[in-house]
Amino acid sequence: MAHQDYQEMLTAQALNALDADDARVLEAHVQGCAECRIELSSWEDTAAGLAFAALGTQPVEPTIQLRERTLQAIRAETLALGTFEGDGSRVSNVVDLDQRRPRSWTPALTWGAVAAAVVFAVLGASIFILWQQNLAARDELARLTQQVREANEQLARQRDALGMVATPGTRMTELAGTNEMPGAHAMLAFDQSGRALLMAKGLPPPPTGKAYQLWFIAGGRPLPGKVFTTDNSGAGMLTDQIPAEALKAAVFAITLEPKDGVPAPTGAIYLKS
Amino acid sequence: MGLSNRNAATSAFRRPKNSFIGNLAVSLASYIPLLQIGTLQLEHAHSIDVALLHAVARRDEQALASLYDRYRVILFGLLVRILNSREEAEDVLQEVFLQIWRRAADFDERRGRPFTWLVTLARSRAIDRLRFLASRQRVTDTAAREAPEEVSDAASDTLHSEQREIVQRALAELPEEQKLILLLAYFEGLTQSEISERLSTPLGTVKTRMRSGMIKLRELLGSQMKSLR
Repeated sequence: MAHQDYQEMLTAQALNALDADDARVLEAHVQGCAECRIELSSWEDTAAGLAFAALGTQPVEPTIQLRERTLQAIRAETLALGTFEGDGSRVSNVVDLDQRRPRSWTPALTWGAVAAAVVFAVLGASIFILWQQNLAARDELARLTQQVREANEQLARQRDALGMVATPGTRMTELAGTNEMPGAHAMLAFDQSGRALLMAKGLPPPPTGKAYQLWFIAGGRPLPGKVFTTDNSGAGMLTDQIPAEALKAAVFAITLEPKDGVPAPTGAIYLKS
Repeated sequence: MGLSNRNAATSAFRRPKNSFIGNLAVSLASYIPLLQIGTLQLEHAHSIDVALLHAVARRDEQALASLYDRYRVILFGLLVRILNSREEAEDVLQEVFLQIWRRAADFDERRGRPFTWLVTLARSRAIDRLRFLASRQRVTDTAAREAPEEVSDAASDTLHSEQREIVQRALAELPEEQKLILLLAYFEGLTQSEISERLSTPLGTVKTRMRSGMIKLRELLGSQMKSLR
C-alpha cells in the first residue's frame, strides 16, 4: 500500500470510521510515520470540532449532584488504590477520622451477620458438649483402668497364694476371732523361707485412720507384721515376710492399729491363732 | 456556573501539596471561564487546560474539578446527542472523568490539544456504551435531522453558541450527502461499511464522500479552528 493510500485513510480514522482491518493496517503504519501522525492529529482536531454540532440552543447540563458523585468516586478510587502524588510520595491509605462513615448495612449483610452468629453459637455449644463428654470419658477410662489394675493385682495375689499353698512344706494356721470380733476368721500360710500369705474374712473395713496389723508372737514377744484393710464384704489379703526369729512362732494375732502400723501392739486383739 | 459558585464548589476538595502549577491553573481557570472568546484568552485557555491535565496527572482533585466545570457542558451535550439519554449520558460522563483521572498522565500536548483529547475520550466511551446498549435503532437521518436546525442566536452560553454556530455554518455548507455521512460516523459511531449498508450506498462512494466532507469541513473552519479550543 502506498503512502498516499494511508493518507487517504486518515480522515476516516479521525472519525473512528475505518473498518477493523483497515484500522489495524493504518495504525501499524502511523506508528512509524511521523508525517501521518501529524496529519492524523490535525484531522482529529477537525473531527473534535463536530462535538459543537451536538449543542442545542439551550445547552443541556448534567445534574449538580453528578459533579460531587464524580469527585467522590475519584476519591474512593484514590483511597482504594493508594495512588501517587505528584512528588512521587504515596498517599496514605489511612482514612481520616472525619472521613469515616458509618457502614451502610444492607438486609443481606444483616441476615448474613445473624446467620454467622447462629453458626458461631451452635459451633461453640457443640465444642463445649464435646469437651464435657471428653472429660467424662477420661474419668471413666481412668476408673476402668484402676479397676483393671486392681483386678490384676488381686489375680496376681491369688496366683501367689495358690502357688504357695501348693508348695511342699507350706504350713497353714487358722486364726479365729476373739470376743472383740467373734465372726472373724483368717488363714495364714507360710513356707520355710518365711514368705507368708494371710487371707481374712469377717473383718469389717477399719475406721478412717486405722488398719489391721499382723503380729508374730515368739517367746511371748510380739513382732510387728504389715498392715492391711478389708473391703465391704469383710475380706482382706496380705503377703508378708515372717522375721527369722519368728519362724518358729506358734502364735499369730491381728489387732486394730493406726493405719501406718506400730512397733508394739496398742489395740485390742481381733484374731489370734 | 458563576465565579462565586465555582469557588464555593471547588473549595470542598483537598488541595494536594506541592502543586503550585495546578493551583495556578485552577486559579486562572476561575478567571478565564469557557465563555470567553478571543485569541489571547483562547491561548490562555489552551495553556490552562494543559496545566490542569498535568495537575490531574499528579492527582490534583481540584484540577479535575476545574476541568469538569470547564468541559461538562460540551461533553455532556455530546454524550446526550450520541446516547439520546440524559441518564446514560450522566453515567458515561462520570466514567469519562474517572478515565481522565486515571489517564491524564498519558496526555502529551505535543501530540494533540486538550480539547481534542477530552472530546475524543468522551466520544469513544459514548460509542462503546451505544454499542453495548445496541441502541442503533434510530432512523437513518437522525443525526442529520437533529444537527443544523438547532442553530439559534438565543443561546445562553455565548462561547458555546458562537462555536456551535461556526461548526453548524460549516456543516450547512457541506453537500447533504457528505454531511450525513460525517454525522453518522461521528454521532452514531458507524464505520464506513456500516454507513454503506445503512444508506445502501457503495462503500467506495462512502469513503470518497467522507474524505471530501472532512476536507471541506476543515477548509470551512479554516482559521476559526483555533477558536474551537
